[in-house]
Amino acid sequence: MKFLIAIKNTDDESKNILDVGCKIAEGFSADLTICYVGKKSKSLIEGDVNLARLSMAEWNIYHPGLEVLKWAFNILKNKGFAPETSFVVENLVEENGRIRLVLPETTNYQIRLVLREGQLLSELNQEVKQGKFDIAIIGSPRRKRMAQKMIQFLNTSIFYVKNFNPNWNYKILLCVDDSQATKRAVIFSAQISKQFSADITSLTVSKTSFFGKGYRNAHIWAERYLIRKEIPFESKLLNGNPVEVFVKEAGVDHIIIMGKAKGNEIIKFIFGSKPIHTAQQANCPVLLVN
Amino acid sequence: MQFKLPDELTRNVLFWIQEKRWLLIIVFLGTLMYHLPYPDSISYAGYRTLILGLIVISLIITETVPLPAVALLIAVLEVAFHIAPAAEVAKTYMNDSVFFIMGSLMMAVAIVHQGLDTRLAFGIIKLTGNQVKHIVLGFTCIAALLSSFIGEHTVVAMMLPVGLSLVRNCSKQKPIPNLTALILFSIAYGSTVGSIGTPSGGARNAIMLEYWRTITDSGITLTYFQWIIMAYPLVIVGMLGTTFILQMVFKPEIQRMDTAIRRLKIQVAHKGNITGNEFLTIIIFIIVFLCWIFLNERFGLGIIAIGGAFIYLATGLVDWKQVSNNTNWGVILLFAGVISLGVQMKNTGTALWIGNSIMGQFSPLIDEFSIIPYIFNIFLTTLLSNIMSSSGTVAVLGPIMLNMGGEPLYMGMTTAISSAFGYFSAIAAPACMIIYSSGLVKITDFLKAGWRMAIMSIITLLIIHKFYWPFIISYTNFK
Repeated sequence: MKFLIAIKNTDDESKNILDVGCKIAEGFSADLTICYVGKKSKSLIEGDVNLARLSMAEWNIYHPGLEVLKWAFNILKNKGFAPETSFVVENLVEENGRIRLVLPETTNYQIRLVLREGQLLSELNQEVKQGKFDIAIIGSPRRKRMAQKMIQFLNTSIFYVKNFNPNWNYKILLCVDDSQATKRAVIFSAQISKQFSADITSLTVSKTSFFGKGYRNAHIWAERYLIRKEIPFESKLLNGNPVEVFVKEAGVDHIIIMGKAKGNEIIKFIFGSKPIHTAQQANCPVLLVN
Repeated sequence: MQFKLPDELTRNVLFWIQEKRWLLIIVFLGTLMYHLPYPDSISYAGYRTLILGLIVISLIITETVPLPAVALLIAVLEVAFHIAPAAEVAKTYMNDSVFFIMGSLMMAVAIVHQGLDTRLAFGIIKLTGNQVKHIVLGFTCIAALLSSFIGEHTVVAMMLPVGLSLVRNCSKQKPIPNLTALILFSIAYGSTVGSIGTPSGGARNAIMLEYWRTITDSGITLTYFQWIIMAYPLVIVGMLGTTFILQMVFKPEIQRMDTAIRRLKIQVAHKGNITGNEFLTIIIFIIVFLCWIFLNERFGLGIIAIGGAFIYLATGLVDWKQVSNNTNWGVILLFAGVISLGVQMKNTGTALWIGNSIMGQFSPLIDEFSIIPYIFNIFLTTLLSNIMSSSGTVAVLGPIMLNMGGEPLYMGMTTAISSAFGYFSAIAAPACMIIYSSGLVKITDFLKAGWRMAIMSIITLLIIHKFYWPFIISYTNFK
């Protein structure tokens, strides 16, 4: 599998994103790509900025993004993910509109460090298209609309690392419904549960007191799968507004895992969807499985 | 059978729409305006030039298409809108200002490539010593004086590494956010303040010279030296004012930088004595500078600039590949396109129509206070330069400002100078962008220092406009 971790600086939030990303990637034996998307200069001054950067490189002052990637590389190295080499800027290559650090192959995990400049959504979309990633692990955008766009346009599973506290023992809230992506969400949650030693709460919510056949079947399938995998879990069937119930049940100490909705893209763009609203309103990390 | 678009295709289309939403809005509004009845007071070609002007400004601000593509669009629409025939459009695309921008950008690559920044660092340290207040004064003044002559972009490329190294050396001991901001802003604002001093300070000055020559009825020609006489008092007041304001806003955590300076000295000491190439680079620039002063009326600034670039290439001081890779050809093409549009705005009467329409709103006030057009000019230029960079601002606003009713020489000078007042945002100047993207200064720092800088600059400009320029003009034959 291939995971993409997007970081924005060297602060605690980015460190948490890296920690969570590494831990999950370990569970899936996945390759990791760390991507930094920097602000692009206005085109009118881009040439001047590049000339200054060229001059600064002579003084060993590099693009701020490289400093962030170097910081991320050292963290990965300390965790045993990255190979035992140094971060050498001479190993940078420019390809497909981005800069990548060439690192020696390792037997366990392949690590890639990528620097991009431009609009966050646009650059991440290009990276996802190029890398065909299974999960993109990113910090939660401050603007709700951006969160919605990322969920809709990044054609991969998305893990929003929101209000993550590394000292907490997170539980997993598995949201089950009749969507196609639910099965994959159940499989993911089983794997992540093992990795984090986290209990799972399987939750199906109906707007009315009646649970349709699709909901009941999905709920039963999830239960059977978790039993087969010997994962400790609790099962709940609740009534109410699904988004409100998910957010309330999750609180701050769960990781919400649910499938991405497969509905009409135009309607999703205008009105959003259940997973989009959940990701926007939740106060804890959310994984939306594609 | 119901037809349904595949989800992925719908998603890709939606993504393209949201990425290109500004382009779609601009195309829609442009088409709408094109089909609307136009006012009687403007000609058919003039109205279409107005539409083209609005499209170009919107495209430059939103950057929804690459800037060189905007330059191509200008040529296509000038012909397609019957604003000017193809042969005339082609002619207006190349002029002395475009040569000047091209030449000075190429020379900047040659100068930066020689690594003269270490010499500069050594010189500054020798001059300023270890005291923070002296270092800030030294950085501001040297950045301002150099950027007046060799251009803001060259100074930024040479001085920012020195400033950033100093900050790094110093921050190893303890956090110094104020001192960091103080040193970095002294270079950024210093080079901005200085760039107004001569025509070679920035592309915008050369563009204004071209507009004076081609757009004004009397065809104003200002020599290199005359520009210095008019603008340099502002540079001197500006650099001293900048030093004072920055030290007031960012109170440094330490007063002396002994260790940092020592480290910097070690860093630059390995370079040894000045090399032949470095010496030749300086000599060639001095020759170019002297030619700008004494021969610009005969040859034009642009021809001298590309002559300088030729000498750097011919003497092997810089490879063509380096020049080619590090020169922003797209910007040169864009300026060529925008200048061509400016000429057509004059030819079709659009610039005059816009100027009259805007000033018509203020005519009772203007009768009372003749300074109103200049204040309006400063306000609009400062606003736009904080949104889309200083050179772009002069390129698009120049033709309009020259037709706003004030004295064209003063109005042009006011536009060129106030386009350097982009103190509030990181996008107005390359130095501001670099120090912001380094993460060492925050956007609030720009605001904290920016409003004070803007007030100081505007008041100085208005005083100089009111008292100094008329005094100078009355004693010389500028026009």
